[in-house]
Amino acid sequence: MATQLNFRGAIALATLLVSVAASATGPVVRLFPTTVLEDIRETGQVAEEMENGLQEVIHRLDVQQQLFVDSQCQGAEGDEGCAQISKQLGATYLEMLDLMNSRLPDMERAVNSTRTSLESRLRKELGQRTTPTSLQDQLLGKSGSLGVPGTEAKDRPALRGRSGVRLSDRFKQYYQLVATNREGPGSSLAVVAADIYLDMEEAAQLIAATQEEISRAALMEQLNQSFGVITPEMAAVVGGVKEILFGESVVDAPIAAPPYVIGQTEFVSPLEM
Amino acid sequence: MMKPILLAAALFALAACETTPVADVCAGRLGTNVEAALAETERRLGLGCEYQFESYFRENLATAEANPSSDNKRLFSDHLVRANELGVISKRQARELYNRYFNVKFVSLAGDYNTCSQTCPVQARVLNDMKSELQDKELGLLRVSTDRASYYRADSLLKETQIVLEATCRACDAGNPGR
Repeated sequence: MATQLNFRGAIALATLLVSVAASATGPVVRLFPTTVLEDIRETGQVAEEMENGLQEVIHRLDVQQQLFVDSQCQGAEGDEGCAQISKQLGATYLEMLDLMNSRLPDMERAVNSTRTSLESRLRKELGQRTTPTSLQDQLLGKSGSLGVPGTEAKDRPALRGRSGVRLSDRFKQYYQLVATNREGPGSSLAVVAADIYLDMEEAAQLIAATQEEISRAALMEQLNQSFGVITPEMAAVVGGVKEILFGESVVDAPIAAPPYVIGQTEFVSPLEM
Repeated sequence: MMKPILLAAALFALAACETTPVADVCAGRLGTNVEAALAETERRLGLGCEYQFESYFRENLATAEANPSSDNKRLFSDHLVRANELGVISKRQARELYNRYFNVKFVSLAGDYNTCSQTCPVQARVLNDMKSELQDKELGLLRVSTDRASYYRADSLLKETQIVLEATCRACDAGNPGR
């Protein structure tokens, strides 16, 4: 509950800061208009609902699998207790597939919507309305066209490579990044937009792959009636779900260097670009 | 009849050698003190050693690397301005050299046309050029000028540019599926 409130608070704050910054900076490169923010917010919500729905089933699946292993049921086909655990495993697995099947289309739609709207903004604002020279100015935060002129970057966004983070948390991070950077120079907003866009492309591919895997696994289940044990295929599906929703790797490898203030020393050359 | 002519030619050749000491003026070390080395460079450039400008510049960078100081940035800027005033290099060349070595911004990422049409078709080449330029910035900013903050900012600017270009160029391609 507290998390949901924080999430909503962050969204409200981001929206407020966006509108304040937009009114303060004159002509701006609008990478995050209200429509894009709304798409990101909705994707975060869908992700959170999906996580909440699946968390319990996946936990139950893990517990049942552990029980199966601990009871040394591998190869003990004749044992009645093991047969019971196997049946429960199969049922829980199917339950997870059903849940995924019902939730993934919403997730897919939300991710695609965010991706498409960001793609359009990136193409228009950074691809067509920006020269390579001005793109560099914007990244350095000197032009002011994306943010507040004269200010320097204090918090640079953590760049790609946030695996190991829940999908909904990732969207919270996006909001925080947008909110933080609305306060300072807009330079990093280009990076944030690019980062989200590339993440969405990756997520769309993962969702498509998982859907394909679910269809295949459901067919297998119909043919076999019961899995008995967690097969490699089942493990792959569960792994894919966990990867999308909860993150797998705990190793974060941010590409960006630690935050440094732009090194404007006392000397400014007349030759400087 | 032939003897006086040959003698005159030999004397002329000898005299010519005496009045063209340019090769000697242009050669030799510039010195180990950065400021003095740059002054010596400018003196030689003024005496007709323009063709040596690039090797002088490299030697002076090496000298400055051996004598790192935040003041070196200004010394090189002044030197490049004077080289331009002497007519050795153009203003554009002076600007490109200064920014390549001593500025956060990349001269490899410049242009007056939109990113979709100018940079995206040669994205890989631009990024390679930027990586190569970052090495020059490492020399100019970090090792010559001891300006760590600027060098690190240039390093992160390159990484940010990679991400932004990757996303932007994909978006540009998606808008032009026929291309």
